[in-house]
Amino acid sequence: MRDRLEIKATSRTPSVAFDFAANRLKIAGESYPEDATEFYGPVFAALDNYLSRLGSGVCRFDFELIYLNSSSAKAVMMVMDKLDAAAKKGASVDVYWHYDGEDDTMQELGEEFGEDLENAKFHLEKMAG
Amino acid sequence: MRSEDLFAAEEGVISAAEELLANGRFADREDRERFADLLKNYQKLFRTTRRLMRLSDRNEQQLNAMSQEQRRANEIIAHKNKELEALSNKLSKYLSPQIYHSIFTGAQNVEIASNRKKLTVFFSDIADFTTTTENLESEELTTLLNRYLTEMSRIALEYGATVDKYIGDAVVAFFGDPETKGVKEDARACVRMAVAMQRRMRELHSEWLELGAERPFHVRIGVNTGYCTVGNFGSDARMDYTIIGNAVNLASRLQSHAELGGILLGHETYSLVKDEVAAEELSPIKVKGIAEPVRRYKVLGIYDDMAEEGTVIREERDGFKLMLDLTKQNRAAAVEALQAILSRLKE
Repeated sequence: MRDRLEIKATSRTPSVAFDFAANRLKIAGESYPEDATEFYGPVFAALDNYLSRLGSGVCRFDFELIYLNSSSAKAVMMVMDKLDAAAKKGASVDVYWHYDGEDDTMQELGEEFGEDLENAKFHLEKMAG
Repeated sequence: MRSEDLFAAEEGVISAAEELLANGRFADREDRERFADLLKNYQKLFRTTRRLMRLSDRNEQQLNAMSQEQRRANEIIAHKNKELEALSNKLSKYLSPQIYHSIFTGAQNVEIASNRKKLTVFFSDIADFTTTTENLESEELTTLLNRYLTEMSRIALEYGATVDKYIGDAVVAFFGDPETKGVKEDARACVRMAVAMQRRMRELHSEWLELGAERPFHVRIGVNTGYCTVGNFGSDARMDYTIIGNAVNLASRLQSHAELGGILLGHETYSLVKDEVAAEELSPIKVKGIAEPVRRYKVLGIYDDMAEEGTVIREERDGFKLMLDLTKQNRAAAVEALQAILSRLKE
């Protein structure tokens, strides 16, 4: 398994920083790719691979999204499902949802995503500055 | 319609399913669990749908706000552009059109920098302008001067000159920068322009006399070709696009030595235009700053114009060139010379 998955942000896609060795995973930025499946496909594959080996390990996932379109929101929900499923199997998963203090929608969205998580621990954090 | 109403049917389905789960009788426990799982997934899908719809509405709202903002910004930009255009139109009147064009198209940077180029420099000045106009009121003087400068600038523009500056009634212009048609063509255009200006001056004499000038104006013109330093001079805060150098000074000197209504050329200009310009060499003059006496040529006219007027007969083809200037040569002597040539040809 690869130690890392690094994808640099573009004007339409977020940065992806998965440090599997350190069990720290992060998606940050704006997300409105032309083709959400094409962008998130490799991300899901790497995440599935990692989570399948996590067992009862510890994992932290940070979302720092500023803007996302509907397809990306669906992709985020799929990531949440995968994390929750891993937690259900015994992993200790912490999901951090960082939101811009002036963006109520992203805060509400985070809150709702958090409500869906049954096994992973959810944290809602206001972004600094 | 409220979002709750939009989803009334789905919420009804969920309520009924929840009631069934609480009170319903299922064939066995496994069936009940399957139904509970189905309901859970339906509820999740319902939440997802509402969430995505809300997100989509929010994004659309933001997009509309941005588009309105963009429209407002475009209006401001259009307004500012109009202001800028009006301002640049005003400013353009203080610059030569070529300089203005080269600055505004970005072909030339507005910075302290210069180049050495071979230019043909033009100087003109109204002889005794101050004494001729001292009895005029300032309004009359302004009208007179502006009329003169407008006419001269129009001709300068027509021939492609870069008008460097006006110094009172004097006009300084040059050919060869920022656009050039080659040194020879630049010199020819300059001399043609000078001739056109003197012609126009003669036409304007009667107009000015009517306006109150006691004596008609006469313009002296000097033209010289040579290397000049051309570019922006001054400071970062205030600069002037102009030319400097000996060739410039010499054009000015030639102008001051020209006859009333006359055009004096420097030697290099003459060499470049002699094929199409009739000129007479005058005695060289001593000029401050130049060791050798300076050769000078008085313009008599443009051969093509003179041929039209009948003062010159020109015939030119490959290996044959005839130029008969009837202002210098009387007809009988010319016929005699031509007959001598014909006799030699027939031998």
